[in-house]
Amino acid sequence: MADRREALKIIGAIGTTCAFPFASGELYGQHQHPAPGKQAEIGKPQFFTAAEFAVISRVADLIIPATETPGAVGAGVPSYIDLVVQTNEQHQTVFRAGVKFLDASAGGSFVSLTEDKQIALLLPLSDAVDRGELNSAGEKFFRAMKSMTADGYYTSKIGMSDELGYHGGTVLAEYPNCEIPEH
Amino acid sequence: MAIKTYDVVVVGSGAGGGVLSAHLARAGVDVAVVEGGPKVNTRTDFNTHAMPYEFANRHIPTMKAGKPGFDSERSRGVGGKTMLWNAVAWRLSERDFKGRTFEGAGEDWPIGYKDMTPYYDRIEREVGVCGNLDHLEDLPDGIFLPPVPMKCSDVMIQRGAAKLGLKIIHVRKSTLSRATPARPACHFCGNCMAGCDVAAKYNSADVHMNPALKTGHLEIFPNSIVREVVVSNENRVTGVRFLDRTTLKEGEVRGRSVVVACACVQSIALLMMSKSALYPSGLGNSSGQLGKHFVPHMTGGVDVFLKPLIGKKLTADEGFLDHAYLPSFMHSRKRDYARSFGAQFGYQNRRSVGWARQIPGFGKDYKQAIKDKYPSYLTFSPYGEKLPDARNFVDLDYEKKDSFGLPLARRHVVWTDNDMKIFHDMQNWSKEILLQAGGEILSVSKEPNTNHELGGCRMGNDPRTSVLNAYCQSHDVKNLFVVDGSVFPSASEKNPTHTIMALAARTAEHIADRLKKGEM
Repeated sequence: MADRREALKIIGAIGTTCAFPFASGELYGQHQHPAPGKQAEIGKPQFFTAAEFAVISRVADLIIPATETPGAVGAGVPSYIDLVVQTNEQHQTVFRAGVKFLDASAGGSFVSLTEDKQIALLLPLSDAVDRGELNSAGEKFFRAMKSMTADGYYTSKIGMSDELGYHGGTVLAEYPNCEIPEH
Repeated sequence: MAIKTYDVVVVGSGAGGGVLSAHLARAGVDVAVVEGGPKVNTRTDFNTHAMPYEFANRHIPTMKAGKPGFDSERSRGVGGKTMLWNAVAWRLSERDFKGRTFEGAGEDWPIGYKDMTPYYDRIEREVGVCGNLDHLEDLPDGIFLPPVPMKCSDVMIQRGAAKLGLKIIHVRKSTLSRATPARPACHFCGNCMAGCDVAAKYNSADVHMNPALKTGHLEIFPNSIVREVVVSNENRVTGVRFLDRTTLKEGEVRGRSVVVACACVQSIALLMMSKSALYPSGLGNSSGQLGKHFVPHMTGGVDVFLKPLIGKKLTADEGFLDHAYLPSFMHSRKRDYARSFGAQFGYQNRRSVGWARQIPGFGKDYKQAIKDKYPSYLTFSPYGEKLPDARNFVDLDYEKKDSFGLPLARRHVVWTDNDMKIFHDMQNWSKEILLQAGGEILSVSKEPNTNHELGGCRMGNDPRTSVLNAYCQSHDVKNLFVVDGSVFPSASEKNPTHTIMALAARTAEHIADRLKKGEM
């Protein structure tokens, strides 16, 4: 539930509210928007150490890799994660523990593994998260990491406009009739 | 200089206060509207067309920087929640007003559909409501502008519902589908609840209050947070005391009558804060009913992908959010609970992709799955009626104060057997309709949520069991009125704002008549 709530808060902040099934405390105007954080400089983390940031960046790019469009790193997602984590102690604990877990599982350095080995390390975490399991530091980290990567990527210009094709604010003189065949 | 005494002091400027104050001013009554937030310029203050990536933390603020109001507090600003609403406009039916008579459950209103018809008519003429004439027993037709075509996803859901014998209709909204001399038609930019920058969507400031300022009978006190309605030893209210929003300086506005219209829970809180020797538990609360029988709507959404739209090209189809509606249909069916539900759907906007978190896996396949599903995602939200029950109430927490030193309101909500039966039934029907429409269900809310706060200061004929009479007038204090969602004795399943506006029109007429007759 906590995850859904977080998702709802983000949706709420973006403006689909009145008809949305919010918990009553999260109706618009009642929930607190986080204070706008400092715009992080790309590549210069405010919270993470350089070594941690390298792991975060690598995992983000494995979750959403470059295809015809840039991936998470190309869209600046690691800096977005750094910005969000800066102001949230719970996230800080989860991310620090997760980076430690990955490096330990990799026998020292996650980023120096081959891509195949990196993916092999993440797969059981992803499967567990998909089953709704959140037991180990690795699983908690992966879920937080995936959520923030998805949030950051699909609210970036690259993710929203280039990848998904949404440009927003289209103005129509008339709303078109839907022409879909009966079957 | 003598302090001016207004004929009517109105607390709040949204659907209730905005309509009522404009109607009074037009009738020549001197009105002061005391509003907790700033004036809003709909042309320049909203971020209607902004994108999340324009902001470092990806949260689009409700208003432009340096325009306080909606961001950190509860919808304070001239126009209230009409600035940010979704504009759905239903008339309640006789069965909604007289639930107890029809079913032996719920609560009858002291007024019925016939009492409200002229005021619904009046509001629709003033506001401009688009919709179709559907001839439904439980959803009366009104005076409508042409409806807006349904989205492709709506047509699919309509066909799915038809297989189950259910009717999907065009939504009815206080958003212009045709231009009027004063306001342009909707341009379907798809971000209504960020605030409509052209006021094609109704808001009480642009449509009611600003034009009424020209009468010279309306004065607005913005940034004035009312903390007390003052009552005299002669059992009459004499005005309100407020705190200046920025300086916290105390101020007062005097009136021959007071209308409290600051949104359900806030109105209840204000009356509770207005304690006196005469009314130790809150103004006008000799019945002990103030805060009781809180009946918010019960909701619980289903997130779904419509398979025929998966992998299809994205079109600019956000429109004005939801274009269709599933009207209540259970009243005529056999069931093991009282009352009913309806459903709104397809009102999500594409600036949020929060559901991407829930798609399994990672990597290229994950990225492709999100791209494919993006045009097909929608939220389906049934809305159920919660029966009045004394265990659902609002009170004040004097231990917890807001930044103005005022106690916070607490909402106590219990889900009864009847509530849970409706909740499960409305979710089952929602899932079934979506499956028939070719839906791939992503997630279903596990527990009910509340929305559309209603009740807690209810109207009724019996002063022992209600706070207000049939004219939204306090049983205890004859020159005190309340006009907002709190006055609803029962909620129905229908979005309430249109009825709040009609009640405001009716109450304004009543007050103006009594003033003319010298009865105030």
